[in-house]
Order: sequence, then structure tokens, then C-alpha cells
Amino acid sequence: VRLWRCRCRALLSRPAGAVRPRRGLAAGPEMHFGFQTVTEEERREKIYQVFENVAKKYDVMNDSMTLGIHRVWKDILIHKMNPCPGTLLLDVAGGTGDIAFRFINYVRSVRQRQLQRKLKDHQNLSWQEIFESYQKDKSNSLGDSQVVVCDINREMLKVGKQKAQHLGYTEGLSWVLGNAEELPFDDDKFDVYTIAFGIRNVTRIDLALQEAYRVLKPGGRFLCLEFSHVSNPLLSSLYDLYSFQVIPVLGEVIAGDWRSYQYLVESIRQFPPQEELKAMIEDAGFFKVDYENLNFGIVAIHSGFKL
Amino acid sequence: GSAHGRHCHRQQGREQGSGSGSGSDSARPQPPEPSLLRFLVCPLSKRPLRYEEATNELINEELGIAYPIIDGIPNMVPEAARMTHKKPPAEGSEQP
Repeated sequence: VRLWRCRCRALLSRPAGAVRPRRGLAAGPEMHFGFQTVTEEERREKIYQVFENVAKKYDVMNDSMTLGIHRVWKDILIHKMNPCPGTLLLDVAGGTGDIAFRFINYVRSVRQRQLQRKLKDHQNLSWQEIFESYQKDKSNSLGDSQVVVCDINREMLKVGKQKAQHLGYTEGLSWVLGNAEELPFDDDKFDVYTIAFGIRNVTRIDLALQEAYRVLKPGGRFLCLEFSHVSNPLLSSLYDLYSFQVIPVLGEVIAGDWRSYQYLVESIRQFPPQEELKAMIEDAGFFKVDYENLNFGIVAIHSGFKL
Repeated sequence: GSAHGRHCHRQQGREQGSGSGSGSDSARPQPPEPSLLRFLVCPLSKRPLRYEEATNELINEELGIAYPIIDGIPNMVPEAARMTHKKPPAEGSEQP
């Protein structure tokens, strides 16, 4: 009976916003999984399975679905962060490492420029002094920057770790299996907290935001990159068309799994729009909360500070 | 902080981490990144943990639970933890 009810609801509630429980909080025992209604426990399980299934094809699917544009979105996130060497980043729901690798590349190049400038300034050093300073700095190419990637899904972390080894990312990077709603990190530890295309899959968003606040240092920054809402009606229709007609098909063809991608598309529609997410972030205690739309709101970057 | 003193120092001399040559799941357990131990706490109580090299686990002495480290990745969710049985937990069963 429940399955039938779910299917009916899915069919009837296709227009975005029809089935929407209380924002970020468990509305009684029932919650949304895409357009289906499930219990909190079922939701967690189903989402775990989605990512278990897609893990190996995750990157390929991202490229196909977004025509490679997700790479630009992630680049923009890191540029917005503008981390300096020595930054401690916690990347939650970071699975396959896209944000972590970009962070490392960024601080490494900033560090390079720092060292070059330093060398230029020291024109009257002896060869010995230059050699020694070079040796010292060479072993610290990241300038003590570090990123911890935390994800709840073992398969995604596995893929991420393999990618890191394959691409040669060795230092300044660690992997932890953990829950965004119940982080295994001490208070006031990180300079930046990011969650890219992950918060949508968290069952208790309010808890995740509270945890984000807790683990950030005072002065730390919260950054969230996530699919959001397109207000332009024409664009919105085209976007809906693409999402519901093309993406699940791509999912079937490329990953052999249309259901997971159906979930993905539905979950985007169920997720709070920009202003609502902003309010939730403020509720968690963050200040100077703001957002930036990318591609007319298909994606948005929310930012907040812990003071 | 105070957590640092409790960590197993036998770890420090070893050259390991996510970049070392062992890509596959070998029988030898991979210890975690030493720097990671600075940040990790028990997700339930947020209290410090002790790294136990013998079993490759992170142990919360107070609650009597141990989190496994699998393929070098600490598994910090309560569902994965086991009771240590060395010391009965103070307040009943913490396991879900």
C-alpha cells in the first residue's frame, strides 16, 4: 500500500514544491526521499544506497549531467574561499575529493608565489643561505595547510582515496568516515567548513548546520555549494525538462541506474530555496550569511561566519 | 590539547599515510594519519580517543567503545563501534 501511495504521490506531485515537510526537521515520522514519503530511518538507508551504487560512476555522471560545468562551480567555490597557506579545511560529504584536491592545488600555488617573492627579496644572501632556505621551504609545499574529508559513505571515500593516490595527492589530506549530523571532531578546530552537493542529502540539516558551527574556529567560515532554485519561469521549465527527461536516462545509460538519478533530480526540487537555507544557516548561529547564485540559481553558494 | 598525551606514540616514527605505495586492501592494517588524531573525538561524547595499535582502533575509555579503522579510514559512526568489554560503560548501553 505504501509503495502505491508513494508512486501516486510521485506522479501527482511532480510540480516542484507540492510535497514539502517542515524545513530541515523531521516532520513527525515521515520525511521526503525525492518525491516519496518515507521514515527518517528509511531515508538515511535509501540515500546511503544511492551513493553506494553511484560511487564508481559519480565523477563521470557529474560531467555528463552538468556538461562539465560542475568543475567550474567547484573552482568558483575555492576561489571564493581564497584560502591562504596554513588553512585547516573540513570538507563534509566530500566523498570523491573534488573540493579537497582543488583546495590543495590552490594553497600550493599560493605558497609557490610566496616562496618566489621571498627569494626575490633576498638578493644579498649567500648561496649557502639560499640553499638552506630552499630546502626548508621545499618540504613544506603546502605551508601546513590541511584538509580533512569527511563522508558517511564508505564507497565514496574509497573512490576518493584511490583518486588521491592516482593523482599524487599525498600530504595534507586525510579521510574520515563520519556523519555530518554528528561530527567526530572537537570544538573550534577548523578554519573553513565546506559541504558541496552534500547538504541536500543530509536528513537533519539543522543538526548538520549546528555541528558545522561547533567545529569551526571563531572567525571560521561556512561555505555550502548546492543546487538551488531557479526563479526565472522560462529557464525553470527548460531546467525541469532537462532534469526529468534527460538526467535519469543518462543515469540508466551511463551508470545503469535511473532510480538513483531520479532521486537526485527530485531531491533538488525538495531542497529549500536560497532565502530559506539562508535563514536556516542563521538559525545555527552564523553571521553575515549571504548567498551567490550561479547560472541563474541552478546552483548557489551560501556563506556564513562564526564570530 | 589534553588528547595529545594519550595517543600512542609508537606511531610517530612510521612513514605512512594515504600516499604510501599500498593501494590495495592488504592484510596489514593501515594506521590513521597522525595529524588526524589531533582532531578526532568520539562523535557521541565529543571526548578524546586513544589509538590502540594492537587492534587498530580508536578507543573511548569512558564509554567503553572502540571505533575501527578500515583501510586507513577511521570509521567514526556509532553503528560501527563495538563495546570494548575491558571496562563496562558507565551509563548502560550506548549502542543504538
